[in-house]
Amino acid sequence: MSDTPVDSAPAPATPAVELNGVWKIFNEGLPTEVIALQDVSVDVGYGEFIALIGPSGCGKSTLLRVIADLTHPTRGEATVAGLSAAAAREQQRYGMAFQQAALFDWRTVRRNVELPLELQGVPRAARARRAMELLTMVGLADFANHRPWELSGGMQQRVAIARALAVDPPLLLMDEPFGALDEMTRERMQNELLRIRGETGKSVVFVTHSIPEAVYLADRVVVMSARPGRITAVIPVDLPERGEQTREDERFFVAVTRVREALRSGEPTEVGRSRVGEV
Amino acid sequence: MSPRLSLIWPPILVGCAALAIWQGVVVGFGIKPFLLPAPSLIATNVVDNAGVIREAAVYTATTALLGLLIGIIAAILAGLLASRFIVVKRLVTPLAAGLAAVPIIALTPIFNNMFDITSRTPRVLVTAIIVFFPVFENVTRGLTQVPTAQLELMRSLNAAPATIARLVRIPNALSFFLTGLKVAAPLAVIAALVAEYFGGPQQGLGARIASSAANTAYGRAWAYVVAAIIVGLFFYLMVLLLERLARPWTGRARAT
Ligand SMILES: Nc1ncnc2c1ncn2[C@@H]1O[C@H](COP(=O)(O)OP(=O)(O)OP(=O)(O)O)[C@@H](O)[C@H]1O
Ligand SMILES: [Mg+2]
Repeated sequence: MSDTPVDSAPAPATPAVELNGVWKIFNEGLPTEVIALQDVSVDVGYGEFIALIGPSGCGKSTLLRVIADLTHPTRGEATVAGLSAAAAREQQRYGMAFQQAALFDWRTVRRNVELPLELQGVPRAARARRAMELLTMVGLADFANHRPWELSGGMQQRVAIARALAVDPPLLLMDEPFGALDEMTRERMQNELLRIRGETGKSVVFVTHSIPEAVYLADRVVVMSARPGRITAVIPVDLPERGEQTREDERFFVAVTRVREALRSGEPTEVGRSRVGEV
Repeated sequence: MSPRLSLIWPPILVGCAALAIWQGVVVGFGIKPFLLPAPSLIATNVVDNAGVIREAAVYTATTALLGLLIGIIAAILAGLLASRFIVVKRLVTPLAAGLAAVPIIALTPIFNNMFDITSRTPRVLVTAIIVFFPVFENVTRGLTQVPTAQLELMRSLNAAPATIARLVRIPNALSFFLTGLKVAAPLAVIAALVAEYFGGPQQGLGARIASSAANTAYGRAWAYVVAAIIVGLFFYLMVLLLERLARPWTGRARAT
């Protein structure tokens, strides 16, 4: 079912992220019990880009939150670069862009981006410079002194992405970061993300609802299914350097089809669904 | 007409119409002043007693302001403690709610006995107690009800609890505090006014209303009532102004 996939790269001794038999059960033993993650094992290699896809409520955010040490797994364990998830969080080994932008209304856009640097004690001028750099990258330099509530949903998401990149973490955890973006901005942000990752060798775990997006970005697409939330397929994407032609590439369509089929076969049958409803 | 003017005119027109009807009814039906004095009689009294009325208004407004400030400071300190220690919250919340429910009529004589009745102190304390609850309740809520995603973000950044309090909880509480203040400010004026009914210095609006009524000077009593309304409105407008000034930090008006 959820076998640990074989890492193709000649990886160092420890992967960038390792989940080993992770279970997350909410309200265990109560009638409202939800198995958000069932025996999830997955490795993310250094510099690898993993896309996580699956129906709503299948446990994608929960999986990211386990890696980020924002919730403890019921069973199993998560390590980041050989450290426990807790130690990795304390040492700021990852940057996270949340599903909700989670910006602070009382800070300007620029000072929202500066926040992680501020907490690390980076001097004022240096962090302002870094924040402006990132805001320029996400196309929001003109809005540096605006308040988050003056921005559209998609613009807020881009601010949150800039903030996740602020401390230049070796691992990026991104929860549907491009969900609210128009197609053009989305493609630009996708290419930016790939560029950053290419230049810095970051590892990325990227949650998305879009099959083409998953295939375009990822080295491997991890497909999940719901109730219980589990990994049903891991699909390697065999594509050369991404660019304008990628989306017309034959192999792109092949991968898209494979992910779509994997998603479909993971759907519960009507019988299975009604049985779940009875419990 | 600018949008601001179009907001101001309707209430003024309605107010003038109401006054005209009031005047007409009182004169037309020959209603006695002790039931309801005519607006013209009240206006005459306002003009005749302008100096005393202003003095009385300043006295009562000062009591209300002092009580408001003391109540706010106490409520904020208690709110900070309550959001940090659940024990404090469990202790203070029912106590504050209970105290807020005790009528001013019952509180004032007690404070008059405990403190110097010839001073302003008992009145300021009564006002502070009335102010405490709505402010405490809202501040505590603002300090604790931070969106989960924001708290998770701070945790992902490995921020210490004190840092989270400084950078997230306290700024988050600002809009809640202002909501509490909007309730507390008019209450402070009412408390300061009513507390004057139970002896002590006689120069405030409340005492003046009581003594004018006792002397069957109903027009004068109502002139003081008009002043009380103006003081109450003034306090409310001050809070609205604060709210406007705080807008860069509070963002969109948030429901509480
Ligand atoms: N704090 C919680 N308490 C109880 N149940 C929870 C909690 N958080 C998540 N769940 C449950 O766990 C399951 C997985 O939730 P999760 O947020 O991980 O889904 P998701 O795959 O991210 O969905 P979406 O695509 O809609 O964001 C859901 O059924 C949800 O109801
Ligand atoms: Mg989610």
